[in-house]
Formats: sequence, C-alpha cells, structure tokens
Amino acid sequence: MMAMHGVPPGVANPPAPLPPEASEPSAEHRGRFSSPGTMILVVVFLVAFVVYYFVNWNLLSFLWRIG
Amino acid sequence: MNGTFRVCPTTGLKVHAQADGLIKANAVVATVTLLIGGISAVLVLLTRWQAVHLLSAEWFYRMLTIHGMNMLIFFILFFEMAVLYFASAVLLNSRVAAPRLAWAAFGLMLVGTLVIEWTMFTGQADVLFTSYVPLKATSWYYLGVILFAVGALVVVCIFFATLVVAKRERTYEGSVPLVTFGAAAAAIIAVITLGHGAAIYIPTYLWSLGIMNVDAQVYRLVWWGLGHSSQQINVAAMVSIWYLLGALTVGSVVLNEKVSRTAFVLYVLFICMASAHHLLVDPGMGPAWKVWNTSYAMYLAVLASMVHGFTVPAGIELGQRLRGLTKGMFEWLRRAPWGDPGFSSLIFSIIIFGFVAGITGVTFGTEQINIIAHNTLRIPGHFHAAVVGGTALAFMGVTYYVIPLIFRKQVAFYPLAKIQPYLFALGMLIFSVAMTFAGTFGVPRRHWDITFAQAPFDLQFSPAVDLLLGITAVGGLIAALGGAIYLIITVWSVFFGRPLEAGGQA
Repeated sequence: MMAMHGVPPGVANPPAPLPPEASEPSAEHRGRFSSPGTMILVVVFLVAFVVYYFVNWNLLSFLWRIG
Repeated sequence: MNGTFRVCPTTGLKVHAQADGLIKANAVVATVTLLIGGISAVLVLLTRWQAVHLLSAEWFYRMLTIHGMNMLIFFILFFEMAVLYFASAVLLNSRVAAPRLAWAAFGLMLVGTLVIEWTMFTGQADVLFTSYVPLKATSWYYLGVILFAVGALVVVCIFFATLVVAKRERTYEGSVPLVTFGAAAAAIIAVITLGHGAAIYIPTYLWSLGIMNVDAQVYRLVWWGLGHSSQQINVAAMVSIWYLLGALTVGSVVLNEKVSRTAFVLYVLFICMASAHHLLVDPGMGPAWKVWNTSYAMYLAVLASMVHGFTVPAGIELGQRLRGLTKGMFEWLRRAPWGDPGFSSLIFSIIIFGFVAGITGVTFGTEQINIIAHNTLRIPGHFHAAVVGGTALAFMGVTYYVIPLIFRKQVAFYPLAKIQPYLFALGMLIFSVAMTFAGTFGVPRRHWDITFAQAPFDLQFSPAVDLLLGITAVGGLIAALGGAIYLIITVWSVFFGRPLEAGGQA
C-alpha cells in the first residue's frame, strides 16, 4: 500500500475497483437483498421517528386539552 | 488561457485552469466567512447561556444577524459555487463557459458580501437573517443582498452553460454523473430561490428608500420562498457530496441511478411549496393552504431525503460487500476507514441530518405540533442539526479531499484532521439535542434574556432549563473547537501547506 503523509486514504490508496463478477449477481445472491445492514438501520430510524412523533402528539394532548 | 488543463494524477480528471482558480477563490471566501460566522456563534452562545450572558441586547441581536448571514448565506453559498464548478467543469472534463463572466460574478458576490458585512458590523442592519418587515435596515443592506444574489444567479447560469459546452464538445460519454445531476438539481432550486429573492428584496429595497410599501405577511410568504429553498440548495448539494464522498472513500456504488435521480427531481418539484411550514402559525394563511403545502407537498420532498438517506449507506454497504466485507450484518461498517476524515464526516452527517434534523423537522412540519414548537428553541435545535451537523459537516469532509485534489497540497496537521469530524459531530449532537429539549420547556428562540429582567411581568421556566442551556453551551463550545480546528487545518494547508508532487500538465 502506498503511504502518503497528510493525504486521506481515498486519495493515497483509492478503493480497489469492483471485481468483474460484481456487475452480475451470483445465483446464490440473486433475489436476496443486497444491503441487509442498512435495512436494520432503516428500521431503527423508523422506530425513532414513530416514538418522537407519538411523544409530540402526547405532549400536545396535555397542553391543549379538549372537553 | 481558457484552454489550459491539468490532469489529476489521482482521478485522471482533466481540470480546467479557470475552474481550478474559481473553486479556490470561492472556497477561500467561504472559509473566511465561516470564521466570522463561527466567532459570532460563540458570542451568541455565551449570551444565551444565562449563567454567562455575555453581550448587551444590542450586540446580541447584531451578532445573531452576523451569525445567520455568514453561516446560512455566505459560507454555504460560496462553498456551493465551488461545488457547482467542480460538478460541472471538473467532473465532466470540460472548460468553464464564460470564465471572465464567472470572475465578474464572483466579484459581484464578494462586493455584496462586503457591503452586507459593513452594514451589519456598523449597526445599520440589526434585522436578523430574516429581516422581517417592518424591521428596517439601511438601504445598503438590501442592495448588498441584491448584488450577492445577482452574482450567484450568474454563477448558476454559467453552471448550466458549462453543462451545454461539455455536451456539445463531447467531454463525457452517456449521462452526466449522479453528483453532477444532484448539483443540477441544486442549481435549479437556486434559480427558484433567487427568483423569490428578487421578488421580495427589490420591493423591500424600494421600501427602505421610502418609495413603496411592503405588506408584512406578503413579505413572510415570499421571503420564505427564498429562505427555505436556499436551505434546500444546501440539502441537494450535501446529498451530492454524500454520493461523492461515498465513492471517494470506500468506492460505494449507486444502487439504482433512476431512483436516486428521481429523488433529486422530487426536491425540485416540491421543496418550494414546503416553505409553507414556516408560516403554519401565521394568521394570514388558511388551513387548507397550510395543510396542502405541508402535509402533502412537503412529504414528497421529505420522501426524497429518505430515499437518499437509504441509498447512500446502502451503496456504501454494497460496495464494501462486493469487495469481500460480507461477515455478519455490519462488517462493512466496522471495517470502514473510520480514520479517514472524509468517511467519518460522511457518516456523522447522514446520522445527524437524518436522525436529529429529519425526525424533528417532519414532526414540526405538522400544523398542530408546530403550535407547541413554533418560536421556541426547538426550531434552531432542528435547523442547526440540518445545516451544521448535516451540510457543514459534509462540506468539511469533502474539504479534506479538495485540498489534495484541487489545491494540490497535503492536509496540514493530519492527525488533528482525523479527530476533527468526531469533535464537531459530538459537539453539534449535544448542542442540537439539548437545545431541542430546552425548547420543549417553552424557551423562546431569538431572545436575549429569558429571565425577563426589568419586565413588568414575571415568567419562571423550569429549573431544568438552566441545566439544558448549560449543556447546549458546552456542546456548542465543543463544536466551535471542532470548527476552529477545521479552519486552522484548511487555512494552513492552502496557504502554507506542503505541495503534493506535481501532476501532469496537458
């Protein structure tokens, strides 16, 4: 690996090119979701969003009582 | 002179000498205005911290105006002008269309900036960033804004002209890269934004001269077509930089070009209407208008951000997996280059923008909830997460690549550069969350003294507010330290840095 002082790794050692087979999904991976880790992060985001949204409506119901 | 190119030895891109110069000039001015905005931020912060309460009321509002204009307009827009030159001329291997006009536009923006700075620092424009009518500044202030906006509009036109030149001269094959497409979306939004700016600042300039009247509600309606849309230019530019940093740092792939490009189009179509969420408690607008613009149009713009918020990390994950990091769910993330300031900035920018700014922003965009959040510290808590934790952090991350790739210099104090995004992100996270919590206790924004000393009435906040404002200040100071480190690194690298070995000249 080339080492350059004061230069980010992306410049000193750019990411390796994708392997040629990367453009064609293998039979094993065909039909499977390609980014499962990101899907978990998306679910975490969704839960955080729902909780925050619900808490705000709840807060509103305390501050602005009807009846 | 117009035909001079150098070939970047790292990327192989042909860099036009004029594009090189324009990017450098815009980046340098952006950095100087960031310094001014940062110093004023600390002064405002130490005044809102009631235990310190540093500035007098007069200087508090003056510094708040200076902070808003430097951070939200000058720093961001000068940086975005650099992004437009990079995304058009550099990425497309093209020359800059009309370079002399481009320098004239830069000069116009600079003159506008200097005029506005002068009016603000001399106390002739204590009207805050929004300059709501009937608050009146000196006419020079509005004239400065108009000059700046005209300059920015010319740069946007040169960006489009450069796209045409690149297409005509066949400097690239196929479609433009996604980063250029995103920059084009930002440029289209910029035209919409600057159109609103002309529609409101020209009458306001005439009003300041005593020639005509401006209705306060009409001002707010049209001004937010400028004020909010200008921040959406930031978002489109920031997302473009996310894709760029993903590709540069880990070789991320684009999951689906059509989906990502459609998301950029959603920004263009709906973001202007989403400006209505700033007017949710205004009496001049009816509920149908508010609900249509914020509960339908705004969600389509939000959808675009959610699409990018998914496709960018998913593209990073896929790129890492295709290079063999396939163990478990998160090996791709665990073994990512966390010591690369470009990568850490990218990830923290996505997290802060999505989790803090995104969730709070959509919630506040709901009419009923907006009533309890409006004009409290929850609002600046939200937009600091968006503009500073999201946009500014992404801009900082890409700077660490611009320095070697465009300025051809080594990044000075590189060990500090590695920790800078961590420090800045941590500070902004603490700052934004604590500020948002303080806002839930009803603490008003844009307020010099929440103890209401010498007021004819008495208002007590929960004692928790003092703690939260203290935490806000600590977070802000940590972020300011991160910002100061960024400025020192950037200025030192550009002006005194060690050059990289010379690239080939063509």
